[in-house]
Amino acid sequence: MEAKRIKFERTGGFAGIRLAADIELDELPKAQVHQILKLLNDLDFDELPEQLSGGPQISDGFTYSITVVSETRQHTVTTSETAAPEKMSSMFEILTQIARQQARNKK
Amino acid sequence: MHHHRNPIHCILPPHMLKQIAANGSETQKQMAVDTINSTTQLRADRLKMTEYRAAFAAQIIQSVSGGKERIVYDAQNGSSLPGTVIRKEGEPPVADVAVNEAYDGSGATYDLYKNIYNRNSIDNNGLRLDSTVHYQRNYDNAFWDGKQMVYGDGDGDLFNRFTIAIDVMGHELTHGVTQYEASLNYSQQPGALNESMSDVFGSLVKQYSLNQTATDADWLIGAGLLAAGVNGVALRSMKAPGTAYNDPVLGKDPQPAHMKDYVNTISDNGGVHINSGIPNHAFYLIATQMGGNAWDKAGQIWYVTLRDKLKATSNFQDCANLTYQTAADIFGAGSLEQQAVQKGWADVGLDATGSGGNTPPPPGCFGSLLKLIGAA
Repeated sequence: MEAKRIKFERTGGFAGIRLAADIELDELPKAQVHQILKLLNDLDFDELPEQLSGGPQISDGFTYSITVVSETRQHTVTTSETAAPEKMSSMFEILTQIARQQARNKK
Repeated sequence: MHHHRNPIHCILPPHMLKQIAANGSETQKQMAVDTINSTTQLRADRLKMTEYRAAFAAQIIQSVSGGKERIVYDAQNGSSLPGTVIRKEGEPPVADVAVNEAYDGSGATYDLYKNIYNRNSIDNNGLRLDSTVHYQRNYDNAFWDGKQMVYGDGDGDLFNRFTIAIDVMGHELTHGVTQYEASLNYSQQPGALNESMSDVFGSLVKQYSLNQTATDADWLIGAGLLAAGVNGVALRSMKAPGTAYNDPVLGKDPQPAHMKDYVNTISDNGGVHINSGIPNHAFYLIATQMGGNAWDKAGQIWYVTLRDKLKATSNFQDCANLTYQTAADIFGAGSLEQQAVQKGWADVGLDATGSGGNTPPPPGCFGSLLKLIGAA
């Protein structure tokens, strides 16, 4: 199902500062939406378990939570940064950037 | 985040350990031997501080296999660790400032532990200190992955590079020390204690490198880390938790300074970077009341408690009780130092007593132990 909205949250880290964003995909530039949808597809996001595990247990690592909302369903995946597959790191990078921009706009 | 318990870090009774040492698999035997060794370390009871230090120094000389040894790597903005070797122990400074900061910061941390606490590196056995800089792009973080320290460059807009503050490097390296000693679980109160230990010794590394007294120190964690334009002085303040920053983008420093303001949350592994403000502030109060250099008396009490007394499941109350006991071990029951420890904890809402200590481990821990030894 085509994603309409993404809720993103990053918690923990050395600073312990929460970063979150509620993103309507049709408000983003087309190229960025294309990039996000391709990543979701490559990750087979809908089939990922709600909680990813594995990777080394790290101190001061980030915890990420991504919820993808489509017309018919919504699916949340929560993971530490070390348990996430490589492609998910690119997703985190994009969503972190958008979340920072949103926070700045709210200033 | 799901927590993976390492059964090695749980506490077994001595008879069970001996059984495992005799009959277990190779891994189980090693675990049991290590655990027996760590729990039969020299006890400091009733020794005055100077005697205590001399005895401790003599004890560790046997186990020293190497001195200070550092390597700094460059991840070149990727995620592969450790990355490319840039500077090894004894080599001159390079052009990259982050590399030199990681080298100097891990060296300063090694020096505090060695010169003041007679500890030879993270494992007290000369473990090489590996650091990687330039991890990923715009990465606003630093972490300890169980084997090495990792630093991001920051996004430049909110955060500067994470090697900019010497206490950040002391903080990360102390996660390694905690891993080899109390092995505090990284969630809820044990997790906040784990974080607090890293802040305490991170700040002590800074104070020791600047030769500051407790009164002169800024007691900030991550001073210089916030980029120009961000409204804040650091990420945390041990002197005044909750006041380090208040910014439209970052929000406000959420740290409490007292148990009445304890934050119940599922985020951040149960607020490990938030509620650490409470034991952080207790340490600040105790160190300033004692006067002089914080690493000397208060730091010694905290270090011995971390090394010998705290367990994986210890909570704030346990830490209060155990530091109170350690103060009596080193300075004597009823000493001014022990009184300072009691008052510091009382001022953050915890009554330290000589009794009590560690609360029993939860069933999850015991269950994983039974599994390890094949009993379940």
